[in-house]
Amino acid sequence: MVKKRKDVQHVVALTEPITAVEEATTVNNIRAQLEDIKNHEGVVGYILRNSSSASIDLKDPTKIIDYAIISSSSIDAGQALSELFDLGQAKNVAVEGKNMKMLSFTLEENKISVFMDKNVDSEKILKKLCGL
Amino acid sequence: MDNEIYSFALKTTLNEIQNLCPDIKNAFIFREDGEIVAGGENTPESTIVRVMDSFDGILEKAEALGGIEGIALESSKGRVDVCCVNGFYLVTVTMANADKNYVNTITRVLVPTVLKLVEKISSAPLKNESRESEPKPEIHIPETMARPTEEMSINEPTPERPKRILEPETKPELTLPEPPVNQLIVENIGGLLVPADTVRIDNETLLQWQELYKDRKIEEVEVETFGGQSTRVKVKPIKDSKFEGKGIVQMPEKIQNALEIRKGELVRVKPLIK
Repeated sequence: MVKKRKDVQHVVALTEPITAVEEATTVNNIRAQLEDIKNHEGVVGYILRNSSSASIDLKDPTKIIDYAIISSSSIDAGQALSELFDLGQAKNVAVEGKNMKMLSFTLEENKISVFMDKNVDSEKILKKLCGL
Repeated sequence: MDNEIYSFALKTTLNEIQNLCPDIKNAFIFREDGEIVAGGENTPESTIVRVMDSFDGILEKAEALGGIEGIALESSKGRVDVCCVNGFYLVTVTMANADKNYVNTITRVLVPTVLKLVEKISSAPLKNESRESEPKPEIHIPETMARPTEEMSINEPTPERPKRILEPETKPELTLPEPPVNQLIVENIGGLLVPADTVRIDNETLLQWQELYKDRKIEEVEVETFGGQSTRVKVKPIKDSKFEGKGIVQMPEKIQNALEIRKGELVRVKPLIK
């Protein structure tokens, strides 16, 4: 994995456009995976954002703002608390509500939140997405 | 008043939880409204405030998820768990190698149990407050609380019982209810005229006991510490109104020394029925 990183850095120095293509491919892969996950029973949508773009796909569009705030707050809280308690790199944050739950994590530069019904197995979804 | 009891009981619980499970680095509790209820010994208030700030955004929009039940942050070297219990948020920070199930079992059983207990304890004076609003014959207890039963019998006339010589006097004891046990916080009492063998508790509590044992005098109580020490002492109502309804027992230093306890500690107090 370290070796691969070195290669990428090397490529960045030489040919920047290729990195952009790789990034786009990663985002496309994530989005494709999220689209697939969205079809799972109980999953109500997702938010995917990075420094250049954001995709929001929710079954109930009236909750977009609320979900966007919870998503960004949870990722920020994860980073802040990991630093505060010296817990290393934040992996994921799961927020469980009485009706719904949300799973947030960062994949490379992409911040992802998946919203689902309470009875959905979020671990399964996390494994699927992190296996990208 | 409730805050003090909550804080004391919960702080002790959190420290015990951390003693029991050293993998818990930090543990603290805050309320929905942002008030810090209790924190473990190694969690400074500034840390708790920063955690609450971090959760602000999530808690503000919690309604979108139907209200928060829990938050779990997983990091490479540990995790942070937030569990919502009756409007209280219990936060635990654990090491990566901590047994998640064990930690959850301890925290999610002990803390709610203590919360329920504390609520039960503090609800006793509240019940009396609600009773006060009901139109009832006034019951005056003299300051000295010398003979509370006599006072009550004057205001609440009870039907005369036919005296039966053959009936042994001890028979009604069979139907006496179990003496209620109140958990109270020890408070100092001092002064030249303070009897060394008498504790003072809420008038309301004495009235409750008196209601339970209508024909009996309650002049003594048994005070028991959580360390297992106990003693019988005389009881009188609290004189100073600022200590009323606070769930405390005023205790002379002599009794405190005998029981090896200090101000601020919890004791069990129950009436001794003669």
